[in-house]
Amino acid sequence: MNEYKQRRPGELLVALEGVSKIYPRVNRPGERLRAFFSLLRGQEPKDGALVLDDVSLEVRSGESLGIIGENGAGKSTLLKILTGVISPSRGQVAGQARMAALLELGAGFQPDFSGLDNVRMKGALLGMSPGEINRKLDDILAFADIGEYIHEPVKHYSSGMVVRLGFAVVTASQPELLITDEVLAVGDESFQKKCVRWIEGFLESGNTLLMVSHSMYLVQKLCHKAIWIEQGKTREYGDVFDVTQSYLAFHEARSATEKDNREKAGGEAGLYRLESFCFANELEGTEKILEWGDSLEAELVLHSPDGRPPAALVGIIRADGTPVYGVASEVEGATPRALGDGKFAISIRFDELPLLPGNYAMRGHAMDPEGMRLCDTLELRFRVRGVSRELGYVRLKHHWLSGQETTGE
Amino acid sequence: MSNGIFRQLVLRAIRTDYLNNLSGFAWLILQPLMLLAVYAFVFSTIFKARIPGLEPSAFVPFLAIAFWPWTAFSESVLKASQVVTANAALIGKVSFRTELLPLSAVTATFLMHMVGYAAVLIVLRLMGTEIDWFGLLPALVVLAVLYAFAVALALFFSALHVFIRDLGQMLPPLMTFWFFMSPILYSPALLPDHLASLMELNPMTWFVGRLREFLMLGGYTPALSDALIPAVVIILCFLGFRFFRRMSGHFEDFL
Repeated sequence: MNEYKQRRPGELLVALEGVSKIYPRVNRPGERLRAFFSLLRGQEPKDGALVLDDVSLEVRSGESLGIIGENGAGKSTLLKILTGVISPSRGQVAGQARMAALLELGAGFQPDFSGLDNVRMKGALLGMSPGEINRKLDDILAFADIGEYIHEPVKHYSSGMVVRLGFAVVTASQPELLITDEVLAVGDESFQKKCVRWIEGFLESGNTLLMVSHSMYLVQKLCHKAIWIEQGKTREYGDVFDVTQSYLAFHEARSATEKDNREKAGGEAGLYRLESFCFANELEGTEKILEWGDSLEAELVLHSPDGRPPAALVGIIRADGTPVYGVASEVEGATPRALGDGKFAISIRFDELPLLPGNYAMRGHAMDPEGMRLCDTLELRFRVRGVSRELGYVRLKHHWLSGQETTGE
Repeated sequence: MSNGIFRQLVLRAIRTDYLNNLSGFAWLILQPLMLLAVYAFVFSTIFKARIPGLEPSAFVPFLAIAFWPWTAFSESVLKASQVVTANAALIGKVSFRTELLPLSAVTATFLMHMVGYAAVLIVLRLMGTEIDWFGLLPALVVLAVLYAFAVALALFFSALHVFIRDLGQMLPPLMTFWFFMSPILYSPALLPDHLASLMELNPMTWFVGRLREFLMLGGYTPALSDALIPAVVIILCFLGFRFFRRMSGHFEDFL
């Protein structure tokens, strides 16, 4: 039975307002004492590590929020503040529901005690009464599926078994708010799937999830909203697909810059130049945002020193530099029209761009008329918005065939 | 919902501290019994300590009635003062009411020693000491106040110990000092007047004195301290709780 009262969907569970956390420096006893006295006076630590800086967010009943960011960005600290394990140095935590939430599935296990004893302790920590634990014991053991090991001391368990047992108790406790801090990464493949299936059912019945994960796949699969924490600050907060896409794009772009720097060294500032390169109906330099399946048109203005029309090469790359598609005007027999004064213009149009949601760049190049040498390059960034669980870069036309029936795309 | 946690924590403390080995429970009784024998031998045989107005043979029950509650008190405060630091792994990882940690440590220690106390009272009776069984009820009230006093101190010390680790070294000798400054081994009647009035300031004097009056000596007369000490203990509990709650959000920074 669920011991919590049923909440209305959308009811505010926890709200953070301008929360900062400074971990005081406590390496030496003197520092420890000084930090303690400043705490007693209600001051924030004078010097220390600023782990969270002015973060605001809300968690409402029925939501699922993914917390993403690099290692050391402050994700775990954020979870600890949300659950009330630690207090913030600055800012407000409102409506702090002291819900049984685990930041580590193995936490609260006493290594010397048997799995069974630890199930009782853990269940109690999760807010279950002794009777409730007894009733659900069979379910817990079935979910954990560790066999006779349940009577062994937990110190003889593998880390995977500890996680299994921990998660099994969590499932039985029917929490209102489930908090996972990269805990699913430990179990084996089949157990991970079991957990994900359970979480999906958990969310379907209107419960709330807070999840820290480095797996964008899992975050997109399980969460509706996401917050991207970077060096203790909120970088982006909103729809899960928007946030994870810009997070991935950021990392893709970073690894691309390293690659680009190497490539640029070899680039040749040649005779044929690309004067301008822009999307139709867009100002140069702004990022274009497309909806899924939109068409995309770009115009290139080329400059030729000898009056011969140069060839244009247009390519689409993923934000990390992976080429998706490229085509040259010369190959398909298209010639830029002359504008006079050695300038030529040509446009390219992609109808119903089949790119999957993500961040991309379109590169325009000026080539010599023979299409032999690449002379100049300009890049335009654009983003395809949308929700998709397909993998890869483009949607290929396809049909599923099952039995006699042929279903559509 | 915290009832389950509290129960589990108490059970866990009892199991790890007393029932982990077979003889654990026996030692629970034997250890204070042996200490009692040592004190009884040193004070009544070597120092020839006498309690004014009592037979020399009454020294052992006189000592035992005060000694067990003191042991429960000092042991539970000492144990509970370390309990937050000892459970560091739990505190940053699980959100629960951390004040249950010192509370359960005191409860487990008190429970175990009260079992020993009951056994000792029965043994004393069998050995011929007149135990006033009607005095048991008010004695239980005194013990409950003593328990609350231990809880209050445990809340303060366990929170402080996170920030000031030296407390772990400071507290045991302070407790020993408190033991000798309290009329446990001797009667306050032996002291000169100015020291006796000073001793009235020690709350342990009240606990020990009332327990002896209710269980053994009789002659209880109501006094202002009967209201004052429980009131002060309740206020201390409240303050200790407030202090603990205020500090508990910062435990993880210092553990």
